[in-house]
Amino acid sequence: MDSAISFSKVTHTYQANTPFAHNALNNVTLQIPKQSFTAVIGHTGSGKSTLVQHINALLKPTTGHLEVLGKIIDAKTTNKNLKAFRKRVGMVFQFPEKQLFEETVLKDVMFGPKNYGASEESAKKAALDAMKLVGLDLSLSDHSPFDLSGGQMRRVAIAGVLAMSPEILILDEPTAGLDPRGHREIMDLAKYLNQNKQMTIILITHQMDDVVDYATNVIVMDKGEAVKVGPPEQTFADPTWIYQMQLDLPSSAEFAQQLKHAGVDISENHLPLTIDQLANRLVQLVGKGVVK
Amino acid sequence: MIIIFFANNLISYGVLSALIIIVILMSGISVAYFLKGIKPLIWLIIFTVLLQILFSSGGHVLWHFGPFSITNESLVNGGFIFMRFLLIIMISTVLTLTTTPLAIADGVQTVLKPLKKLHFPVDTLALMLSIALRFVPTLMDEMETIMNAQRARGVDFGSGSLKHRVRAAVPLLVPLFTGAINHAENLSTAMEARGFSDSEHRTKYRLYHWQTKDTISWIIFVLVGVAVILIRK
Repeated sequence: MDSAISFSKVTHTYQANTPFAHNALNNVTLQIPKQSFTAVIGHTGSGKSTLVQHINALLKPTTGHLEVLGKIIDAKTTNKNLKAFRKRVGMVFQFPEKQLFEETVLKDVMFGPKNYGASEESAKKAALDAMKLVGLDLSLSDHSPFDLSGGQMRRVAIAGVLAMSPEILILDEPTAGLDPRGHREIMDLAKYLNQNKQMTIILITHQMDDVVDYATNVIVMDKGEAVKVGPPEQTFADPTWIYQMQLDLPSSAEFAQQLKHAGVDISENHLPLTIDQLANRLVQLVGKGVVK
Repeated sequence: MIIIFFANNLISYGVLSALIIIVILMSGISVAYFLKGIKPLIWLIIFTVLLQILFSSGGHVLWHFGPFSITNESLVNGGFIFMRFLLIIMISTVLTLTTTPLAIADGVQTVLKPLKKLHFPVDTLALMLSIALRFVPTLMDEMETIMNAQRARGVDFGSGSLKHRVRAAVPLLVPLFTGAINHAENLSTAMEARGFSDSEHRTKYRLYHWQTKDTISWIIFVLVGVAVILIRK
């Protein structure tokens, strides 16, 4: 498969050459396939955010280089001429509602496309399309973003990134602080963009259920290193290792583990990861008459 | 600091320099840090000293060109100004490197206490000061995040014409201010929920006790101060 992003031996040191120097990334080499839905997991401070900020060159490698959509980024890459590149890599930061600033919702969503040189008209069209995409009522266009609810503000911020129609979309904990419904809607939006708009999605999350429900590819970070890259089945194959990484199993796998402790092993060769898999296994077991 | 302005001859500056060198050595902080503290101010110092040397009159003229003249007295004055800058920066660096910001806020409160008699809201000021200090790093972090987020949306910070740069500051400043207002609202709600009414009649968690070493340092300070005033011409 084509890779949209490939890191080769990327190391990033914060405050290099000072007594406070601190390695946030250590010799990271990995590939992220085109049009994949990649989840980045790892405990707090493991280097997830540092990793993804390299992808649109907000941070540059201290040593090593990475290639994103054909562009090489290394220590010598300057901030000049990055505009056209950053348009192709959209990034939604944690609590993105904090970056809203315009007088109206529409203007804020148009801000990105206009920075990249779109005409007033095409920026407006892109903005309205993006608002529809994230499920914002178009009647909100003329409202001030500061009058909206937290969930709506989050959507405006995400629409602002989508309006630039990026090829890669990075989401840093996009559902933190949202209610269960808002959570599901945002995650479904990411899936829709991945499958229907052919976007490469990179998602940082602490929700293991989201990882197994949505992602096709998982990167596990620990102490600045990418310790495992592969499909979710592979990532969660070894529960002991997952706990060592200070991570959790998805709830279906957790349930299967507890059943196993109670004497009913339904894991066969690998743990059920999603609710559907879990339900299927249980149905099979009931069918065999093992469980009543 | 006031003592530094009293000094006006070689011996008095010598006494003060000796005192500050001893203080720096006792603080156990590497001298490199102090030199770093001077670095950003070095141009201001050089500029002022040069002005003093070139424009002051009086004394024996050594060299002159148009309105500029260098006299032996102006050289001495320039030297004194240089010393003053150096000593003031050194002693303030000692303060900021050895004392936590919260302790400084507490100190300000103690020093301002007499103003209470004049109905000056000392406690409120101290509270504002300690909250402000506590939020400096938080706001710095937020600024960094907002800058990155806007960069990802195509904003160029720090390049282009002045007009362009000022315009680029808007997407940074508006969210920063609204964020600060949100912080203020949340903080005041949280403070009220925890029983904060106003700054009168509060007890303190951090108590500072007067110790023998405080007395000793004050005695040394007063002695040096008196000595400098006596030595001065």
